[in-house]
Amino acid sequence: MTETSLIKLENVWKIYQLGKVELTVLREISLEIAPGSFVSILGPSGSGKSTLLNIIGLLDTPTKGEVFLEGQNTSRFSEDERAQIRGKKVGFIFQQFNLLPNLNALENVAIPMVFQGIPESKRRERAKFLLSSVGLKERISHRPSELSGGEQQRIAIARSLANNPEVVIADEPTGNLDSVTGQKIMEVLINLHKEEGKTIIVVTHDPNIADYSEKIINLKDGQIASDHLLGEKVLWESKK
Amino acid sequence: MLTEYFKIAIKNLRTRPLRSWLTILGIVIGVFLIMSLLSLSEGLKATVLKQLRAIGKDIVMIIPGNLSDIMTTFLGGAELTEDDLNAIRKTRGVEVVIPNVYKAEVMKSQGESKTVLLFGIDLKNALEVYKDDLGMDMAEGRWPEAGKREILVGNLVPKEIFPGLKTGTRTTIKGKQFEIVGILKSLGSRQDDSMIGIDLDIFREITGKKEGAPQAVAKIASGFSPEEVAEDIKENLLETRRRQRGEEESSFSVLTNEAMTGMVSNIMGVIQLAVFAFASIAMIVGGIGIMNTMYTSVHERTREIGILKAVGAKSSTITSVFLIESGVIGLVGGIGGMIFGLGLAKLIELVGQIHPVFYISASISPGLIIFGLTFSFLIGCLSGFLPARSAAKLKPVDALRYE
Repeated sequence: MTETSLIKLENVWKIYQLGKVELTVLREISLEIAPGSFVSILGPSGSGKSTLLNIIGLLDTPTKGEVFLEGQNTSRFSEDERAQIRGKKVGFIFQQFNLLPNLNALENVAIPMVFQGIPESKRRERAKFLLSSVGLKERISHRPSELSGGEQQRIAIARSLANNPEVVIADEPTGNLDSVTGQKIMEVLINLHKEEGKTIIVVTHDPNIADYSEKIINLKDGQIASDHLLGEKVLWESKK
Repeated sequence: MLTEYFKIAIKNLRTRPLRSWLTILGIVIGVFLIMSLLSLSEGLKATVLKQLRAIGKDIVMIIPGNLSDIMTTFLGGAELTEDDLNAIRKTRGVEVVIPNVYKAEVMKSQGESKTVLLFGIDLKNALEVYKDDLGMDMAEGRWPEAGKREILVGNLVPKEIFPGLKTGTRTTIKGKQFEIVGILKSLGSRQDDSMIGIDLDIFREITGKKEGAPQAVAKIASGFSPEEVAEDIKENLLETRRRQRGEEESSFSVLTNEAMTGMVSNIMGVIQLAVFAFASIAMIVGGIGIMNTMYTSVHERTREIGILKAVGAKSSTITSVFLIESGVIGLVGGIGGMIFGLGLAKLIELVGQIHPVFYISASISPGLIIFGLTFSFLIGCLSGFLPARSAAKLKPVDALRYE
């Protein structure tokens, strides 16, 4: 393993047991992601994109194979240890925003910091800073139901940055948004990469994002069909 | 950290106010029952024990028959004969024996006739025992004199039986004139406080109960152990019956004050246990209510649990949040039930004071309150344990995928 890789997957398989039938969602996936890179995962529906993303983000465990984060083999970690690392090093952005409906914007952004034991005053300060950096300074006391989709996703982005993670993982972050709003969200992600040097991994259908990416992982039937690097021509197999 | 979980839990409860309050109501009812019944039975116990404590330690009570079938003794009219009383008197260590005699008679006063319970008081031999060992204390007037037609009344007599009766009032019993000379302070039981006491000799004369007594009280001389003398009294009584009447199978109960206190404590303990057991059923139903609510909540919030786990919540965090929620339901229910339960007990006590059909006091001790609150909190936590564990066990990916 190269010293420079942030995330490394070695021969990862994900097999679901559905009654007597085995469903192989991922097979023989091996890949490396360098720190500070912008990675897109592409592929048709059911190709295993989200499963791969969940395994990279330590939300899910592989059936076989190893997942390394900063050189640490996470396969042997307990559920609680993974939760701890997730909270500290990985930020998640979901297609459905996944904000907590009972909490206002500020509280939603602050919640990952609660689990890291950060005191309340610091949490509030950082949450306010993050919300204003995504342009939602005026919305801190609004609940998700009072906000538009674009605003909710920006809160989710702010939340993903709460603990200043190494890597931000986004699963079709623009999938529930109109194209103009989606464009703005993508700009926020690109800025994060450009200005703050965050490692960003996105599952997307958006060719513009793919073009911006330094690395594109193309999945088909649970396998990596092609693994492009920046500057290579991308062959689009699915269109949205 | 815990305060943060507490805030999250409270927020969750407040999001579904109706459901939370209904669940709390289930616990309120359970705790209400437990608290009101326990405080009243505890009060009853305290009242009875206080009465017993007013009686001197060196007093023993002699009742014919076995205590295990005390109703047979009373209904069958088993009595101590004069020979029995003498046997008690002769026992070493007995200072004085008071036959406990009573009879219902009609008493006429201020133009009214009422049936009252007439007690014979051994003023000649045992005045000091009544004063010092049996807790009789004068509220008004003086003690009657032996051999005179003078009456001592319990403190309920001028209040309820003959309202307006005073010392100096004249009454008639069985055609004989008497004068009220003293009114007692409360003795703590309705029966004792309704008594009409007259000199023992006059009692025997006008009621025709010339000898014997249903029960007797003996005062033990100082320097003797009440337990040992009680045993001797029993033996003497059995011996007397055997010798004089050829009775092989007679039985007597000789109870020391300590034995009576122990008995009352035991009986009240059993009553309290039964009360607690029945009220606990209500509590268990309330607990099942909490469990139901918490399972529904886990089901509805599966996705939220997934989100919390995704952003770094450990399984123990999820367990804590849910346990706090169910514990708070239990605790709030406990506080509510306590307010209503102890309120009702106090109300019953108040009614008992205004209309003294019974003497009952509500015992509200810090111990009872702490017990009630701890118990309801624990029921809450216990009921929330399984739902909390099922929430904590959810895998983050599965929970996030849940629609």
